[in-house]
Amino acid sequence: MLVVALLLVWEGSVRFGIVQSPNWPAFSAVLAALYRGLAGGELLGVIASSMWRMLRGYLLGSAAGITIGVAIALWRPVRLTLTPAIELLRPVPVTAIVPPLIFVFGIDDKLKIACIAFATFFPVATNTIAGVGAVDEVYLKVARTFGIPHAQTIRQVIVPAALPYIFAGLRTSLAFALVVTVISEMLAGSQGIGHYLLTMQYALRAPEMYASIVLLTFVAYALNRLFLAWEQHAIGWARSREAYDAR
Amino acid sequence: MNGATDERTLKLEGLAKRFDGKQPVVVFEDLSLEVRAGEFFSIVGPSGCGKSTLLQVVAGLIPASGGRVLLGGRDVTGEPAHMVYLFQQYAKSLLPWMTAEDNVIFAFNHRLGLGPRAARARAREHLAMVGLEESAAAYPWQLSGGMQQRVAIARALSADPKVLLMDEPFSSVDALTRMELHALISELWERKRFTTILVTHDVDEAIFLADRIALLTRRPARIAELIETGLARPRRAVETHEDPRFLALRHALLEGLLHRPDEANADVR
Repeated sequence: MLVVALLLVWEGSVRFGIVQSPNWPAFSAVLAALYRGLAGGELLGVIASSMWRMLRGYLLGSAAGITIGVAIALWRPVRLTLTPAIELLRPVPVTAIVPPLIFVFGIDDKLKIACIAFATFFPVATNTIAGVGAVDEVYLKVARTFGIPHAQTIRQVIVPAALPYIFAGLRTSLAFALVVTVISEMLAGSQGIGHYLLTMQYALRAPEMYASIVLLTFVAYALNRLFLAWEQHAIGWARSREAYDAR
Repeated sequence: MNGATDERTLKLEGLAKRFDGKQPVVVFEDLSLEVRAGEFFSIVGPSGCGKSTLLQVVAGLIPASGGRVLLGGRDVTGEPAHMVYLFQQYAKSLLPWMTAEDNVIFAFNHRLGLGPRAARARAREHLAMVGLEESAAAYPWQLSGGMQQRVAIARALSADPKVLLMDEPFSSVDALTRMELHALISELWERKRFTTILVTHDVDEAIFLADRIALLTRRPARIAELIETGLARPRRAVETHEDPRFLALRHALLEGLLHRPDEANADVR
């Protein structure tokens, strides 16, 4: 309701001439631009390319975060080797590494995927380490009494038990990944929604600019819903168990 | 009976467990015991005497400080393949992200390597033995405490253990459920004859289930008495508990637990 009211205020502010500026189009004009962009395929192509980039970076960063997180939590030599490096790198703002990375990866996909993966990695790794550390001793003893091989214990006991933590990390990272996707596209290259948004601003095409922001809002919302469905699928047992135990 | 060479004979020789540290604790020292092949053996003792630690040392879940454990005359090292430990905390020992059936499959399929259909069939068969084939697809936390412990029993037996080690497995269910579980484990044991050690502080439970009972002292634990129960089998929930022999054993064990001079301070811990 609040959203609708605010949008009406926006629309009204232009219709009744309260705000008169070429940079402040009516919401209906924004929607029209959005429709034109999507129907014409331009905006659709732009957002699709951004999503594809984001997905690759997110999956890469998540996979690395889980793998390295598990390794750090389980093996002391890995922990001693990697922890200082991770602690040093973690606070580095991802935007600061874009210029040097351009020398390595160029200005196209590879650069952006690397940035997205970098941003995704840390929350996932940190939460994985915490999750593996919190696995109940009894589960590990159960695996031992049945003589379960180490690799299977990791796959079937340790990782599932740590999943609620891992998902907390994945969720934080999802928001980061979208931000980093848009920013990296703004900073370098000529592809994706970030670049499109900036171009429209330079071209003083306010309706198109706002249209891409509206589209991003929808996409972020949809991503979050998708994520929640995935989370429910993967760790629904943890939620349901809490609900059961609370009876 | 050539019990000494049977591969289900379990022997503890001079077994010791100490926890070193600022205040070193000797849990037990030089403990020797032979559990016969296919025997149901109970260990009772005051709480905190180290019964549970003893069982975990035998299971290879905690390292011994000295002595040996022999199964069928062979030294047992690490986590022995043929011994299964049944945990007191059934609610924590079943993996909550797996169904009852998958919990059972988890216990045996790394050894048997059955295909999905055969593994499922074997799991169902073991769940049926504990009367739970209907609950195969349920998650552990959807089941009652007694049912969870039944799943845990089915899971333990699906691994075909030669030795089953039970650490107060019935202590957190209600009295009626406990009697049902006693009958169940008794029946399964008679059918499969795995060597069994049950650690408990419940004297009735120890007598009802066991062939022999060891009464442990306070720390450092040693065996104060070794009693042959000699009760007829199959045991029956009502009749066995009224057997004069049962009552006499109960009397003797409770006396031993409560009035042992070195236990005058058993509650001051």
